[in-house]
Amino acid sequence: MANRANKPRPIRKPIMNKEVSEFEPCWDLLRSSLVDIHTKNASRLSFEQLYRASYKIVLRKKGDLLYKRVKIFEMEWFRDHIMPVITGLVSNNLVSTALVQPSGSSAHERRETGERFLRGIRDSWSDHNMSMNMIADVLMYLDRTYTAEYKKPSIFATTIGLFRDNILRNTLGSAVQDLGEPFVIFDILNAVVLDLINMERDGDNIDRNLLRNITTMLESLYETDDELEKQKLYLTVFEPRFLESSRAFYRNECERLLRESDTSTWLRHTRRRLEEEHDRCGTTISHLTAEKIAAVIDAELIVAKLDDFLGMEGVGLKNMIDNDRVEDLAIVYNLVSRVDKTKMPLKNALQRRVMDLGVEVEKTLRETDFSNPPANVAADGDDGGDKPKAQTLTAAAQQTAAAIKWVDDVLRLKDKFDDLCVTCFNKDLVLQSAVTKSFSEFINLFKMSSEYVSLFIDDNLKRGNKGRSDAEIEVVLDKAIVLLRYLGDRDMFERYYQKHLARRLLHGKSEIETEKELARRMRAEMGNHFTHKFDGMFKDMEISKDLSDNYRDHIRNLGDADSKQVDLSIHVLTSNNWPPEATRSSQDEGSKGKGKGDCIFPPEIKRLQDSFFKYYLRDRSGRVLTWVPSAGSADIKCVFPKVPGKETGPLSKERRYELNVPTYGMVVLMLFNDLADGETLSFEEIQAKTNMPTADLVRSLASLSIAPKARVLLKEPATKNIKPTDKFGFNPQFVSKAIKIKAPTLNGVSKVEGEEERKETEQKNNQTRQHVVDAAIVRTMKQRKNLSHIQLTTEIITQLSSRFKPDIGMIKRRIEDLLVREYLERTEGDSTVYRYLA
Amino acid sequence: MADDGPSKYITLVSSDGFEFVVLREAACASPTIAGMLRNQMIEARTGRCSFAEISSIILEKVAEYLSYRLKYKDKLDVPDLDIPVEYCLEMIVAADFLGLDEQMA
Repeated sequence: MANRANKPRPIRKPIMNKEVSEFEPCWDLLRSSLVDIHTKNASRLSFEQLYRASYKIVLRKKGDLLYKRVKIFEMEWFRDHIMPVITGLVSNNLVSTALVQPSGSSAHERRETGERFLRGIRDSWSDHNMSMNMIADVLMYLDRTYTAEYKKPSIFATTIGLFRDNILRNTLGSAVQDLGEPFVIFDILNAVVLDLINMERDGDNIDRNLLRNITTMLESLYETDDELEKQKLYLTVFEPRFLESSRAFYRNECERLLRESDTSTWLRHTRRRLEEEHDRCGTTISHLTAEKIAAVIDAELIVAKLDDFLGMEGVGLKNMIDNDRVEDLAIVYNLVSRVDKTKMPLKNALQRRVMDLGVEVEKTLRETDFSNPPANVAADGDDGGDKPKAQTLTAAAQQTAAAIKWVDDVLRLKDKFDDLCVTCFNKDLVLQSAVTKSFSEFINLFKMSSEYVSLFIDDNLKRGNKGRSDAEIEVVLDKAIVLLRYLGDRDMFERYYQKHLARRLLHGKSEIETEKELARRMRAEMGNHFTHKFDGMFKDMEISKDLSDNYRDHIRNLGDADSKQVDLSIHVLTSNNWPPEATRSSQDEGSKGKGKGDCIFPPEIKRLQDSFFKYYLRDRSGRVLTWVPSAGSADIKCVFPKVPGKETGPLSKERRYELNVPTYGMVVLMLFNDLADGETLSFEEIQAKTNMPTADLVRSLASLSIAPKARVLLKEPATKNIKPTDKFGFNPQFVSKAIKIKAPTLNGVSKVEGEEERKETEQKNNQTRQHVVDAAIVRTMKQRKNLSHIQLTTEIITQLSSRFKPDIGMIKRRIEDLLVREYLERTEGDSTVYRYLA
Repeated sequence: MADDGPSKYITLVSSDGFEFVVLREAACASPTIAGMLRNQMIEARTGRCSFAEISSIILEKVAEYLSYRLKYKDKLDVPDLDIPVEYCLEMIVAADFLGLDEQMA
């Protein structure tokens, strides 16, 4: 026990022995070393000694005294050694230039005085800062125990805060009194810094490093010794003033730009300012300000006059779009997306521009039509196509050309805006969808858009046969789908497309594979429903091909080697899938009173029809076949006997030609088989014998007796028009260089509908729509049982929007109709609510 | 040695004149020693920290502790540092002086 008690004795004893009176010697030691530290003579001091001195004072519970003494020492030090230096720097000149409007003095002068003043502040700050750090280290034990225990600000916070209280908040006493308003050194400091920054904005070179030192100092000082993070002097005093001054600066600048320069200059200038200010935060002032100053620029330089600049006559946004000024537009996009997440100004301008250009396309189209009378088809050259047709097809061809021009223009417009979206707008979704919306808006404003788009596809697929690469076809298909996306009234398009497709299929005008590919893409885009009928058409074509082949085999197997046997290639069309024009024998009822009923076929053909029908019904009973001569064609082998009296030239020999004519043409020609040489048939006779619709007959006769290429009939009189009184006879002198001759056909060309026709189509379409609306209403009500009028209407519009934009009036009428037909009833009490009646 | 920047090692000197060389990094675990080496006073210039009131026996343990602390920093399964019971009181006083008492958790 005794042994143990001896051991821990030694060190503690001497400390305990020394008495309270030890404070003064220790403080004297510390005090003299504080002077040394301030005068930069610290290197000969022993840290351990000083630390131990403060340690002992604290152990003696004299911490509070030490704390106070140090504070008083520092205050005296400021008063006696630093203030004189600073006050010396604050000349009247500086004060007046800094606080009053700098009028008399030049920028150079101001910068010199200002920077000298700042340098003085900075130097005294860095000295103070360094000394305080050192002192705080020496007094570490004080901080660890006394200040922590009594919740006082650390010795460092207290002493560093003295700089704020004694320098920055110094009112300068009597130094400058004549300025009236009370101010402190901090005010001068701020004013000088801001003045320097504005000089730099105007292009001067300033000492950025110096400013950065000053702002760093402000960042290390706080409003109070509690050193709350949000109470940095930088944030509480300097930054607000900086932002305010910047705001004023940029407001002026923006107004000046609006007065003196144009949009493009403004754009570039603003972009440069943003970069500059970003740069400034970090090199000159604190990063903390970066976002705030950017917001100031956003507000003052961008938002304030955005509409003025964008709308500027001749140089604004419109001009940029029209002239593809991509660089400017890219800046516009950047600036606008800075200030407005919805990009409203840009979006609106784009939409307006798209609409305007779209309407312009339509306008030029109309003007082109008017300025090109039917005579100069040649001008529309690319479409005028086959020369013999040009004469008769002028109007139609020109219409088609117009349709294609419209589509081309729209596509070009679309390409242009797509390019802009990619190159300038960073593929911004908001803008893209806005542009898309505008496109579909103006496209749907144009009444003929559905038909034109279908015609465009028609034209391209028809020409598609002639040596185009897959890639080119691909492009066309893509374009077609793009346009299709914009169309609102898809049912109208469906109708036209069906019609055009029928023509192409029946006349073999296009590549079936391409057709199918396009249909496949439409299906992907619009859904099965949309292409349902087209698929049916393709299927009919395939089945028909097999059917024709099988029938041919069947006939051959009969072993009936009849040389007069006619080869048949047949298309059996399901009437639901095909447009009515293709499945009904004639549309021209009522045109002349005649032509009603079916065409009378020549006996050979009639036999063939019967034979096929019998064959067809072997596998499928109960079906009805209707023959549609307007949609078919026939190859006829003709023999032109040697013309008596001609010994030389082509007429001296017997000539054989293969003539390809429409079915109607064939029916007409067959009549002349039975005619003796020189005999003629009048128009009326022909009509009586064939029971053909007048218009078809006129067309057939015209192609066989007027166009020189296939003039196998002679007309009396030889005028260019077909009149009911005309007489026709066999042309024994017919000569052609080609063996195979294709009689010009008139119904193989898809042409634009006339005003009347379109109205008719629209009317038909409206009827279909009524049924669709009916069905939608009933389906919805069946499911929901009760719905208010508004809910029902909204529901219907949503359901149908993928097919067309239903007219609200129509929906209302359909509801009323269904009420009458007792599918629905109004509920008692609330007449706006409908109930479904099962 | 003075010219090539600060040395990696510093010397701790006890009241009775014994010297202990430790890694600067290890020594700076004590805020007091760190303060000595940070400020341009004698200790920082010479790399020698004299402790007028710490005996060699205790300072040796301090030096051992500083190295031990650096070695096992951020490690699991740390062996105990053996401190004889009879030195405990003095060790606590020294730890207080060196600012090593608060961070040992």
